[in-house]
Amino acid sequence: MEVRGLLDNVIPLDKEADVVVSCELEGCQSLKMSWIREGELNLIQKLSANVLKAGPMPKHVAFIMDGNRRYARKLHVERQEGHTQGFDKLAETLRWCLNLNILEVTVYAFSIENFKRSKDEVDGLMELAKQKFIRLLEEQENLEKRGVCIRVLGDLTLLPQDLQQHIARAVLATRNHNKCFLNVCFAYTSRHEIANAVREMAWGVEQGHIKSSDVSEALLSQCLYTSNSPNPDLLIRTSGEVRLSDFLLWQTSHSCLVFQSVLWPEYTFWNLCEAILQYQLNYRPLQKARDHHREEQALQQLEADQACVADLLQHRGNGKPLDAQRRQEALLQYTASREHRVQDFLCALQHKRDTYFTDFKAGL
Amino acid sequence: MALVYEFVWRVLHVLLHIHRTIVTWFRIRLRNWNSRLWSRTFAALLMPVAVSFPNQKKLVPTAGKPVSRLYRWGVDGKSLEKLPLHVGLLIAEEEPRYTDIANLVVWCMAVGISYVSVYDNHGVFRRNHCRLKGEIVKQQQEILGPEGSKQHSVEFLNGTSDKQDHQVLWCQSVVNVVSPDDGKLRIVRAAQQLCRAVEEREKTSKDINVTMLDSLLRESKSPPDPELVLNFGPIESSLGFLPWHIRLTEFISLPSHVNICYEDFFSALQRYASCEQRLGK
Repeated sequence: MEVRGLLDNVIPLDKEADVVVSCELEGCQSLKMSWIREGELNLIQKLSANVLKAGPMPKHVAFIMDGNRRYARKLHVERQEGHTQGFDKLAETLRWCLNLNILEVTVYAFSIENFKRSKDEVDGLMELAKQKFIRLLEEQENLEKRGVCIRVLGDLTLLPQDLQQHIARAVLATRNHNKCFLNVCFAYTSRHEIANAVREMAWGVEQGHIKSSDVSEALLSQCLYTSNSPNPDLLIRTSGEVRLSDFLLWQTSHSCLVFQSVLWPEYTFWNLCEAILQYQLNYRPLQKARDHHREEQALQQLEADQACVADLLQHRGNGKPLDAQRRQEALLQYTASREHRVQDFLCALQHKRDTYFTDFKAGL
Repeated sequence: MALVYEFVWRVLHVLLHIHRTIVTWFRIRLRNWNSRLWSRTFAALLMPVAVSFPNQKKLVPTAGKPVSRLYRWGVDGKSLEKLPLHVGLLIAEEEPRYTDIANLVVWCMAVGISYVSVYDNHGVFRRNHCRLKGEIVKQQQEILGPEGSKQHSVEFLNGTSDKQDHQVLWCQSVVNVVSPDDGKLRIVRAAQQLCRAVEEREKTSKDINVTMLDSLLRESKSPPDPELVLNFGPIESSLGFLPWHIRLTEFISLPSHVNICYEDFFSALQRYASCEQRLGK
């Protein structure tokens, strides 16, 4: 049940942590609801869902849930009430996503920028997150039944030790589930993620797994925290803000961006349908743009390989120009060896990341 | 049952497309009507100015004259609560119209925006940057007149940095033609550069951080991060536009750049002016 709880402190990058802190423990502990709200769609919703599903559906949706505080202000209620409602809304939205066959959702929970806030605030948030991750473990059975895999994406080393341990336990407990995926971006910004991917590649070079010439767009993508997920098809930001706030900048380069003016706690099934409709209207041109990008990427890789082969042949130094067939063979050979190196490196990287979690679990 | 759903889905989408077309059509009609009204109103409003600046008197009654236009746009720019320093024009349409894009660039300059980046995801503008440049100079002459053009000179950056190509009189605006190669590919190149440094033991992997990568991606001449991207066309997506630099960029969509008028452009700027950022706090 409490995966939902853990998501309670949804703070879109540039807002509202204070609210979350104030709603802390007492407010949220009373809410013992599953992260996926129970219950089915009503008849009209079901029919509409089926109609939508006749078209191309997004497989992976990312949310920037924004507007809890404004909602509270609008209703003249305590800020924490706004957040409580926001939390409920996520549980509901995840249910709708499952109903619509959207099996992967990524949410922005805590940005690295949020560390700039006062110490009290940040400490409060960390405490809150800890409680949620502990409760997540209590609900393990429920998650197993649903096959929910939870990933926490971000620079976890920025977090307090004990919180890191709880996150590690929660991630390890659900890592083998494979029906649906919830990615929680915590201590995350996209620039850090990209810089971290570059650091990982440099580590691979240091360890002798890869060469600097093996660095490519595809490899960088595979070194991001999101390496195990497809790119989101649709990114939704509520409350009328029209920016990405350092969220999934690399991954959403060819995603449909939908900015909706509704405040997050007022989000309805119909808003989600509207966003999906917009995705479907964008689908064909977007698909075309993606294909084009993929072709370009393949071409760049080929050119890079060719340049490396030319270099190698020159180094071997007999100076004689090779015939086309020999050249082609050399290219194929080089490509195979590069792919081998990259695979080897990615295995090592995965192992390194796994070890991070298992070490923490062992330390507990 | 599945067939029924599919049929309904298709009908729905046809309706949506029709809706979109009708809305666009009405926009254009309304705009034509509006702009006539607008220019008349404006002429009336400018009368007092005409009285206080006798020298300009003969220019004022026809608001269409270059200098008064320039003046009006400059005032418009100043009337906004905030103006972006750097605007990205993202053209996601099949057939780009150079004249309209040149108009947009000239308007940007006239309201006082210092950097303009023109982007499309096929690199068409990068390949044809000479044509774009020519068109911008032409439109500048046409819209602002010789006087205005002298005041608003423009510098072109096209990635190849050929110095003679730049027209530097009194540099007020920089036009930058951006292609997908400046996006992810540039990040990849920076990553390669860093990895090579690690290979040669000049750096260790632990040295690499956001600041280092950021400074590599920011050449001395390159403009600040764009605060605003105007997205033209039917695709609501950044389409690979400078992923590193659009962290805090506001995205505002406009249906098409074809036949775009100044009022549409300015209302997008007004929308931008009302956006508030809290930067994590």
